[in-house]
Amino acid sequence: MTMAKDNDKREVVLRLSDITMQFGGVVAVDNLNLDVHKNEIVGLIGPNGAGKTTAFNCITGVYEPTNGAVEINGKVVIENYPQGKMKDAYKGRNQGKYTKALTMLPDKVTKLGVARTFQNIRLFKGMTVLENVLVAMHMNQGESVFGATFRSKKAREEEKAMREEALELLKKVDLYENRDDMSTSLPYGKQRHLEIARALATHPSILLLDEPAAGMNPQESDDLMRFIGRIRDEFDLSILMIEHHMQVIMGICEHIYVLNYGGQIADGTAEEIQANPAVIEAYLGGDE
Amino acid sequence: MEKTLNSKTKTALSAICIAAFLLIVFALDNTISAGSSWKMLITVIEKGSIFALVAASMNLLNGFTGLFSLGQAGFMLIGAYTYAIFTIPAASHDKVYQYFDGGLIQWSIVEILEDKLGVFGHYLGMFIPMIGAGLIVALIAFLIGIPVLRLKSDYLAIATLGFAEILRAFFQWNTLGPITNGSNVLRKYTTYGNAVFPVIIAGISIAIILLLINSTYGRAFRAIRDDEIAAEAMGVNLFKHKEMSFVISSFFAGVSGALLAMFQTTINATPFNTVMTYEILLIVVIGGIGSITGSIIGAFLFTAASEWWLRGLDAGRWLGISSSLMRPGFRKVVFAVLIMMIVLFYAQGIMGSKEFSWDRFFAWIKSRPEALKTLPARRKAKSAAKKEARASKAAAKAKAKAAKDEGEAKKASGEKLFTPLPVSDEIMIFGKEGK
Amino acid sequence: MGFIHTWLPYILAGIAVGGQYALIAIGYTMVYGILRLINFAHGDVFMWSGLIMVYLITILPLWASVILVILFAIVLGTTIEKVAYRPLRSAPRMSIMISAIGVSYLLQNFALYITGGLTKTYPTIAWLQKTVQIGSATTKMVTVITPILTIVLVFLLVMLIKHTKIGMAMRAVSRDFETSSLMGIDINRVITVTFVIGCGLAAIGSVLYFSNYTGIQPMSGAMPGLKAFVAAVFGGIGSVPGAVVGAFIIGVCENIIKGTGWTTFSDAFTFVLLIVILMVKPTGLFGEKNIDKV
Repeated sequence: MTMAKDNDKREVVLRLSDITMQFGGVVAVDNLNLDVHKNEIVGLIGPNGAGKTTAFNCITGVYEPTNGAVEINGKVVIENYPQGKMKDAYKGRNQGKYTKALTMLPDKVTKLGVARTFQNIRLFKGMTVLENVLVAMHMNQGESVFGATFRSKKAREEEKAMREEALELLKKVDLYENRDDMSTSLPYGKQRHLEIARALATHPSILLLDEPAAGMNPQESDDLMRFIGRIRDEFDLSILMIEHHMQVIMGICEHIYVLNYGGQIADGTAEEIQANPAVIEAYLGGDE
Repeated sequence: MEKTLNSKTKTALSAICIAAFLLIVFALDNTISAGSSWKMLITVIEKGSIFALVAASMNLLNGFTGLFSLGQAGFMLIGAYTYAIFTIPAASHDKVYQYFDGGLIQWSIVEILEDKLGVFGHYLGMFIPMIGAGLIVALIAFLIGIPVLRLKSDYLAIATLGFAEILRAFFQWNTLGPITNGSNVLRKYTTYGNAVFPVIIAGISIAIILLLINSTYGRAFRAIRDDEIAAEAMGVNLFKHKEMSFVISSFFAGVSGALLAMFQTTINATPFNTVMTYEILLIVVIGGIGSITGSIIGAFLFTAASEWWLRGLDAGRWLGISSSLMRPGFRKVVFAVLIMMIVLFYAQGIMGSKEFSWDRFFAWIKSRPEALKTLPARRKAKSAAKKEARASKAAAKAKAKAAKDEGEAKKASGEKLFTPLPVSDEIMIFGKEGK
Repeated sequence: MGFIHTWLPYILAGIAVGGQYALIAIGYTMVYGILRLINFAHGDVFMWSGLIMVYLITILPLWASVILVILFAIVLGTTIEKVAYRPLRSAPRMSIMISAIGVSYLLQNFALYITGGLTKTYPTIAWLQKTVQIGSATTKMVTVITPILTIVLVFLLVMLIKHTKIGMAMRAVSRDFETSSLMGIDINRVITVTFVIGCGLAAIGSVLYFSNYTGIQPMSGAMPGLKAFVAAVFGGIGSVPGAVVGAFIIGVCENIIKGTGWTTFSDAFTFVLLIVILMVKPTGLFGEKNIDKV
């Protein structure tokens, strides 16, 4: 299945091995194997309900996968196998291959350098643009709540540094002029940019983008495509993105994985995917 | 376009206002004689500042961290008891703990320190058990928080309410009588001499809460309030920050409990019930959920209305109107109706989620003449808007009726209105669904 | 034998109290199932039903009073829904919960005003107070009647929910509020019916409950209300049979605790149970697991 894996000499920063997610009797993600290499932009596509966002949730610790393992920067951080009731109810493959149960809360995953955006934008509604970014920097500051409340020297210095960095970041994503606006008052496209800026503020090495071009017109998605390429270079990122806009996916992704009904039906470069009959059948055929 | 004041001027302005207020309170408490009807003003200032503190602490949880917690009265109870138990003078123990052989603790911190340090010791002796009250409450909140804070909003509300009730039962337990005096009142403990005392303590505490809210931790709290999942994805450790907010909020509830004990001069567990928590919550709502300024204003309005302005409603004569309807209890009914009106028609409260700022204050003052001039025009616009709203409502109603008629017609013609949904479980009548 | 001899009275009393809690708990669980709202005012509707009974019995025969009390509770409950909850249906969840707390506060204060803060004597219903011999225990008629009546009423309710059109609509609304309204279900009617059933049962519960006590005062509804809510959570909120089972368990445990002499903590036990159940199995005995969508 993963034919391109061995051709790539770059190190693997994110690896999903046999990830299966079963809710009750429904297998939402079925045995997904996926690699993201350093500085690579990888696409994850598939029709609605194919299990793409569920896969993201398994990586970021929002869900515990039913079976399989997630490796970040060469280290297994999440692993699970069917236990309890699921032992008999499990419908996926590779039962017995995994024996450890390692879980990780989303904030810990973020601390490991995996940041994400959300399909239906989840900004902090009661905060300004700048504050949204500052929240993402909170985990990297070292002052205690006591020191921060009473404005110790360290707290003041950290706050100042955070502000400077946040403003710098906002400049890079063209939101500097909007820094004091309420996040919800931004136009839709800028809200998407802010979500990405906020994710970048956590100092990630891997960025997961969940449908960043949703609701954008061709012009806007063109801009977004260039924007994603730019931040990849500027922030030295590896990117895994879910997207429906074929134009974006085909234009920017070096490697593409295709899901359908939870299962992985193909992977390869843009050309390979476009030529793959199974993909055309399941996805492109119906769409274009 | 508006010139804003620089921060030094603002700080100076604030300092002057606070100092003037404290001086006035101090002077009033010394000049108003006990029999005067203005004595009520002092009561309102004292009780108002105590409730301002507890409301601010509840707001930190409900308004800034998004945790719908209803345990505040229980935490005040512990605070009040802790303070009272350690400050009852040694000589009074036999009288207070008459059913428990003078109680277990036979000394008072205030007396011990007063002997050694004089007047300074007296105040230190009051200050230590007050902070101690906060710390003990914080510790208990820390322990309660471990299980409870993992719950979702409604369950959290009920669980904290439940814990408050357990605490109340616990403090009235006869076996603990030598310490808590069972279901009897605690009295004779040291109280403050001037109304300035609760104002200063509450003021400092609220200032600390404000500093916290505006720190990076406060930002993390607000992030949790706005969107837990996004906050977690941004590296905010949910449990740690919720626990932090819960413990800090409880600390200040404990301090306010100690102040309340001083204000009341006697203390008993019974009134620290759900009604008290409801009242604190309603203060927060009146002021505006998410505004500390609002909580302060709300607390003073609430106490002024319930203790002072509406008092006549209980006595049979109010604002020159007398009626046989006005007998004891009527005040609270009117009051509850007023609160319901605020909840229903003015849900954002007095301040919404805004805080007081000198810039906004001066801008508001400046805008008054202009606002007065344009008042008739705005009125007109408002009534027009109202009319329009009414018209659109009527239209919507008509539409709904048409839809209903259509439904009826369909029903008559035997068409199915909706397809029955599969309910798999025989026992489950209502299934639960995510939002 | 000795064991049963000692504990039977407590268990019987517990079953009776459990039945009374069950009748209140149904109102909580159904309202939560449909509106996702903890109806904090429900316990106060229950208290008011008791209070109205005190006044009605002085001028009317028993049967008429009971019917009027039930009607009163229904009117009160549906009015509360219309005035205090309906306008806030699209508001944030915290607002509607605060509104419920506000209504509770109002009802308690109004009761305080009407009664003048005095405890009112609840009328003695002779028939319910008749003594009955069960095994080795002597007990009152109300203890026997309550569980039977509760089970009959719950059976009827389950039949209604399962086999009538309105019951089907209720199930649909509890599954998915928005879709149901798009499917042409009259949401307002479903909610009104829910409140009618919940408050009617609470009124019946109040007649049974207060006949065990001599007095009634404005705060009388708070504790049984909270316990009934815990029962609903214990059984799995949204589930009618769950609420009933939960209520019986709470009633029996509470009375056994009273029997052991720890009366102070019989109320506290309920909340300990709540916290334990929320820790161990947050969905309750019969609840379904629900997954947050991200």
